[in-house]
Amino acid sequence: MVRYVAQRVGQSILAIFLTVSTVFVLVRLAPGDPAAAYASPLATTAELDRIRAQFGLDKPLIQQYGIFVQDLFHGNLGTSFSFQASALDVVLSRMPYTIMLAVSAILFAAVVAIPAGVWMARHADTARELGANVAMIAGQSMPEFWSGIMLLTVFAVLVPVLPASGFTSWAGLVLPTVTVGILQIALISRLVRREMGAGFAAPYLTIARSRGIPERGLTWRYAMGNSAVPVVTALGTRFAAMLNGVVVVEVVFAWPGVGSLVVRALETRDYPLIQATVLVTAVLTVLVQLLIDLTYPLLDPRVRLGKAVAS
Amino acid sequence: MTATTVGPADGSGSRDTAASPGRPSAVTAKDLARSAAVRRRKSARLKIWVGSVGVALVVLPVALANLLPIPGPDEQSLSLRRLPPLTGGHLFGTDQLGRDLLSRVLHGGQVSLTVGVLAIIVSGVIGLIAGAAAGFFGGWVDTVVSRLLEAQLSLPLLLMLLLVVALFGPSIPVITFVIAFAQWPEVARLTRSLVLVEREKPYVAAARVLGLHRVTTLLRHVLPNVVKQASLVILLLLAQAVLLESALSYLGAGPQRPFATWGRIIADGQDYITTSWWLVTLPGLVIVLLVVGVNLLGDGLRDRARRRKGPQTEGKVSRA
Repeated sequence: MVRYVAQRVGQSILAIFLTVSTVFVLVRLAPGDPAAAYASPLATTAELDRIRAQFGLDKPLIQQYGIFVQDLFHGNLGTSFSFQASALDVVLSRMPYTIMLAVSAILFAAVVAIPAGVWMARHADTARELGANVAMIAGQSMPEFWSGIMLLTVFAVLVPVLPASGFTSWAGLVLPTVTVGILQIALISRLVRREMGAGFAAPYLTIARSRGIPERGLTWRYAMGNSAVPVVTALGTRFAAMLNGVVVVEVVFAWPGVGSLVVRALETRDYPLIQATVLVTAVLTVLVQLLIDLTYPLLDPRVRLGKAVAS
Repeated sequence: MTATTVGPADGSGSRDTAASPGRPSAVTAKDLARSAAVRRRKSARLKIWVGSVGVALVVLPVALANLLPIPGPDEQSLSLRRLPPLTGGHLFGTDQLGRDLLSRVLHGGQVSLTVGVLAIIVSGVIGLIAGAAAGFFGGWVDTVVSRLLEAQLSLPLLLMLLLVVALFGPSIPVITFVIAFAQWPEVARLTRSLVLVEREKPYVAAARVLGLHRVTTLLRHVLPNVVKQASLVILLLLAQAVLLESALSYLGAGPQRPFATWGRIIADGQDYITTSWWLVTLPGLVIVLLVVGVNLLGDGLRDRARRRKGPQTEGKVSRA
C-alpha cells in the first residue's frame, strides 16, 4: 500500500515535470518574438535588446532551461509580462473561480446524470429509453460556446432573470454551471446507463431479487455498488479536465478563471504566465487523479492497491 | 445476449403478469430476451436512419455549395445588412456586412469538414498502428505506447492545443495535426484491446507455424479483423473533431482562410445577439444537426456490430 502510493506520487511528479518541460520547449520553438510583443510597436533594436536581457531571453536555450528549473524549485515562476506581477500569484488569484465553477458543474452533473442513467438502465430497450438516449446525444453534440450563448440570450437578454457575465453574485454561477453541465450530464449518464445495465444483468442481482430484497436496495446498494468505480473515475477525470480551465465557457461568460486568463496570455505571448498556468493546472489535475486512484479500495473492497487495480 | 438479460427483463415482466393473477404466465425468460433483442435491433436501425438523414442534410449542401444558386460567401452589400431569414432570397438572412449567411455557413463548412475528416484520418492511422503494434508485439512496444497514452491523460489538453495553435499559427495543417494529436489515444486504446483478443486466436498460431513473418501476420491477417470495429469509433471521433475545430475557431484559433469556419461565424455574430438572433442560432443549429447525425449513426452502427459479434466479445472489449 505505502509502496504503491509512493510509486504513484513519483509518477505524478514525473508527469508534471514532463508537462512543464514540454511547454517550455514548445514556447521556445515557436516563431515570433516575445520582446516585440511586450515592447511598444515603435521600439528600437536597442530597446528590444534591453527587454530581452531583462527577461533573460538573450541567453542560450539550455541556460534558460537551467534557470527555469532552478526557479521552479524555488517556487519562482517569473514575472508576467502583461500583469507586471508574479505569474504564480496571478494564476493563483484566478484559480478559486475556476475551482468554484468546476465544483458546481460536477455536482450539478452528478446529481442529474446518475439518477438519469439509472432510470435509463431500468427502462432498457424501451421507447422511453431511446428518447432519453437521443436527448443525451443531442446534449453531447452541442458546442459549449453555442449552448452558452443560447442560454445567455434566453435567460439574460430576453427574460433578464440572471446576470449575463462575470462573477458579481452567486446567481452568476448558474448559467456557466448549466452550460458546462449539459455536456457532462450527457457523457456521464450514458456511462452510468452502460455500467448499471451490466449490473442489472448480473446473476447476483437475480439471486438478491429472489430473496425479496426491495428494488430500491437492489438498484442503489447492489447494482450501483458494483458500478461505483467506473462512475467515480469518470466523474473525477471530468472534474480534473475542468480544472484545466473550462476555457470556452469562461470566455463566453467572461468568467474570471484561469481559462479566460490563458486565452489572454496566449494572445500577448506572456510566456511566464502560460508556464505558470500549465504548471498549476497540471499539479491540480495530477493530484485529483491520484486521489481518485486512492479511493478505489473504499468503493470496492475487492480492489487491493497496486495489485488488482490493473486487472 | 441470451440468459444474461433475464435480470432486468424479469423486472418488467413481473408487472405484466400481475394483470392475470393466479395463472402462471406463458411468457418465458427466453421470449423476453428475444423481444428485447428485437427492440434493440429496431432502435439501432432507427438511429442509423435518422443519423444518415441528419448527416446528409448538412454534408450534401456543404459539398455542393459552389453549385447552389446562392450569393458568394464574401459578397458584401452594406445596404442589406442583418436581414432576417427568408427575406430577399436569403434563406438564413444576412450578416453584419450584408453577406448571405447560408452561403457563409456552407463555405465555412467545407473548411470545417475537411479539417475534421483529415484529422480523423491522421489520428486513425496513428492510433491503429500504435495500438496494433502495442497489442500484438507486447513487451517494450506495449510499455512505450501505454505510457504515452497515460501521459496524455494528465496533459491539460485544450490548453496545449491552444498553445500550439497560438505559437505555430492557425493554418489548416497545424489545426489538423492538433486535433489528431488530441484523438489518437482513443483509437490506439481500442485497437490495442481488440488486437489483444485477436492475437490469441488459432489462426495467428497457424500463421506462425506456417512461418509467416510476425509483421506480415499482423498486417495481413490481424488488422483486417479489427479494422471494422475500430473504424466505428473513428466515426464517433469525427463528431468530436468537428466540435473541437469549432471551439478552436470560436476562440480565434481556427483556420483563417479562405472562409470563416463555423465557430468564427458564431463568435462574430455574438455581438449582435440582442438584435439579430439568427447570426448565432442558425450556424449553431447546423453544427448540432451534423454532430447529432454523426453520433447517432456511429451509435447505431456500433449497436449493430455489437449484436452481431455477440455479448462475448463485448465483455472482453470493455474489460481490456
